[in-house]
Amino acid sequence: MSNGISALQEEFGGSIAALAGALAAGDEPRFLAELDALVQRRESSLFSELQKLTSDLQGALNRFRIDSRLVDLAEKEVPDARHRLDHVLKLTDEAAHRTMDLVEQCGPLAERTSLQAAELVKLWHRFRRREIDVQSFRDMVARMDTFLPAASVDMDRVRVNLNEVVLAQGYQDLSGQIIRGVMKLVGELEVALVELVRLSKSGRERQRVAGGNDETRRGYGPVVPGVAHGPAVSDQDDVDALLSGLGM
Amino acid sequence: MSKDMKFLVVDDFSTMRRIIKNLLNDLGYGNVTEADDGATALPMLQAGSFDFLITDWNMPGMPGLDLLKAVRADARLAKMPVLMLTAEAKREQIIEAAQAGVNGYVIKPFTAVTLKEKIDKILETRANAA
Repeated sequence: MSNGISALQEEFGGSIAALAGALAAGDEPRFLAELDALVQRRESSLFSELQKLTSDLQGALNRFRIDSRLVDLAEKEVPDARHRLDHVLKLTDEAAHRTMDLVEQCGPLAERTSLQAAELVKLWHRFRRREIDVQSFRDMVARMDTFLPAASVDMDRVRVNLNEVVLAQGYQDLSGQIIRGVMKLVGELEVALVELVRLSKSGRERQRVAGGNDETRRGYGPVVPGVAHGPAVSDQDDVDALLSGLGM
Repeated sequence: MSKDMKFLVVDDFSTMRRIIKNLLNDLGYGNVTEADDGATALPMLQAGSFDFLITDWNMPGMPGLDLLKAVRADARLAKMPVLMLTAEAKREQIIEAAQAGVNGYVIKPFTAVTLKEKIDKILETRANAA
């Protein structure tokens, strides 16, 4: 306590004495100048304390904001993103199967039309070369009577299926929108984590999780442009060249 | 080896299994069975009389590389032709698959022609070796 009062005496004693002297001497300008200096000195230390307090408070608020955003991301939006990506998987799966169903339905129709048309073309050429007898001609006409409406129905079915195939590609729009939403979330998560690391000033180098070998064993998935996992082949010719270099 | 050969197609995506199965059917191979990862495929291979294995690499459960190694380590399956059909494109992975004894490596996306070429090549090599 005595230390405290002696520090105050040392800091303000001179000013107080000067103030008292000026007052006793009736020197108004000097009194006011001394008073201003005293107040200013007191205020500047107060301001610096206040500044430090404000900055701490701001830091705490930022941290709280990021923490609560991270909690929100981790608890709600990340699981939500997982569900959304699951839905993308389902959409692409359905669209692929739908497309293949339609194409598989078209196959036999196209094949039937093509075979029957080829047989009729042979008969027609014989007819044009006048190599056909009356019975064969009647046979050709009867087959045409059957073929033409059947081909019309079959090709109509093919046309409808092709339109359906085009419609099935609509999944790309839907899945694209969902993936964009997830990308936005990943971006937010990245910003929040980077900010948190900056605030916590851990300064520690991020340590890579061991297990690179396991990833090589399990696979990396398709090559995604801009996401590198080391030297990769670009097409089947590259694979063949590499394997033939290994003696395969 | 004939068109009666029994194929096992291993891929975690049902659409890809269906695509491969359809292509094999088009090539005249009608006897095709499916499995969705190595752990499902291995007991099927051990129990069934399969003649040809086509497998993906990146699958949940047992990945294709482990399946390949398990096949090569099993005396009864060791000589089975194995074609890897995968999106895995790292050079070191392809080298690793070759070292593990893969007979062919086709990268996704692939064409029907490439698949036919590789299957024919594998069968031709085996016929010459026999």
